[in-house]
Amino acid sequence: MTSFEHDVSARSLFFTWLALMLLAGLSLALRFAHIGAFSFPVALGIAFVKALLVALVFMELAFEKPTVRFALLAGVTLLSVMLSLMVADVLTRTIPPLEDPPGTAQRYHG
Amino acid sequence: MAEQVVEHFEDMEKQAHAARLGMWIFLASEVLFFSGLFALYTTYRTEHPHGFGVAVEHNTLAWGSINTGVLLVSSYTVALGVHELRRGRQRTSALLVGVTIFLGACFLGIKTGEYLKHFGEGIYPGGVGDFYREHGEPGTKMFFTLYYCMTGLHAVHVFAGMCVLGFLLWKIVRREIGEWAPHPLAIGAVYWHLVDVIWIFLWPLFYLIPGGSVR
Repeated sequence: MTSFEHDVSARSLFFTWLALMLLAGLSLALRFAHIGAFSFPVALGIAFVKALLVALVFMELAFEKPTVRFALLAGVTLLSVMLSLMVADVLTRTIPPLEDPPGTAQRYHG
Repeated sequence: MAEQVVEHFEDMEKQAHAARLGMWIFLASEVLFFSGLFALYTTYRTEHPHGFGVAVEHNTLAWGSINTGVLLVSSYTVALGVHELRRGRQRTSALLVGVTIFLGACFLGIKTGEYLKHFGEGIYPGGVGDFYREHGEPGTKMFFTLYYCMTGLHAVHVFAGMCVLGFLLWKIVRREIGEWAPHPLAIGAVYWHLVDVIWIFLWPLFYLIPGGSVR
């Protein structure tokens, strides 16, 4: 076995996979549970936990050198900045009333 | 020819680390690439929560869920393949990578079946088809167009991952990589896992979150 590669044990791999399958099952079960407005955050929350498991164990991010983590961190930071700015815009939009700007009605329709 | 240290690296460890870093920088750019489409989904779902809910209920939930299982198993088999290669068990590793490629093909087969089923129901990309006459709620056209774009782009990535793993399988069989230099397979596997992670997010967005759940 090479000295420079961290090897994840077969046991950890199996239990990670088992956790992923159980989380997927939970996600599917909640699809039919009619939890209303909670389904969006709950489904995405479970997806996030699954992604984290895959990244840390399967993709071996938990054992990587800081430079590698930094590369991903740069991407994720950029992503969260852009997504949060976009969501802040979309969620606070109101449809402006279709009126003439103040003081112009006279000029246009006068 | 077996994996060797090229002249600008001091040893295999540094060479492997450089390759790994390169792959992760590429993956970070892939995440940003997909995030544009995820942003579009968020915007349109916020504007048309009802239409998106209706469209989700008309998606092929059973097939999409089976595909989730297929990809999760394939991620496990390729991770195990890396583990076996590091232990010097060349044949087991080759077998596991082969199984992973086969599961990727199964995924694409099921996906094709899904697309054909949608076509049969009159759901085409770009809001074309009879389905939208019955379900004219604003948002259904956007939902299925995004569905085709995002799952289609994901399917391209699955196919690319199969090619990468196929190339690495050939290297394992020819004993070009092995116990002494297992990192090419480990790096290829990282790409495959990213494809899995993207599907982990696509599945709830397009199959699981039903109508009535605004935002």
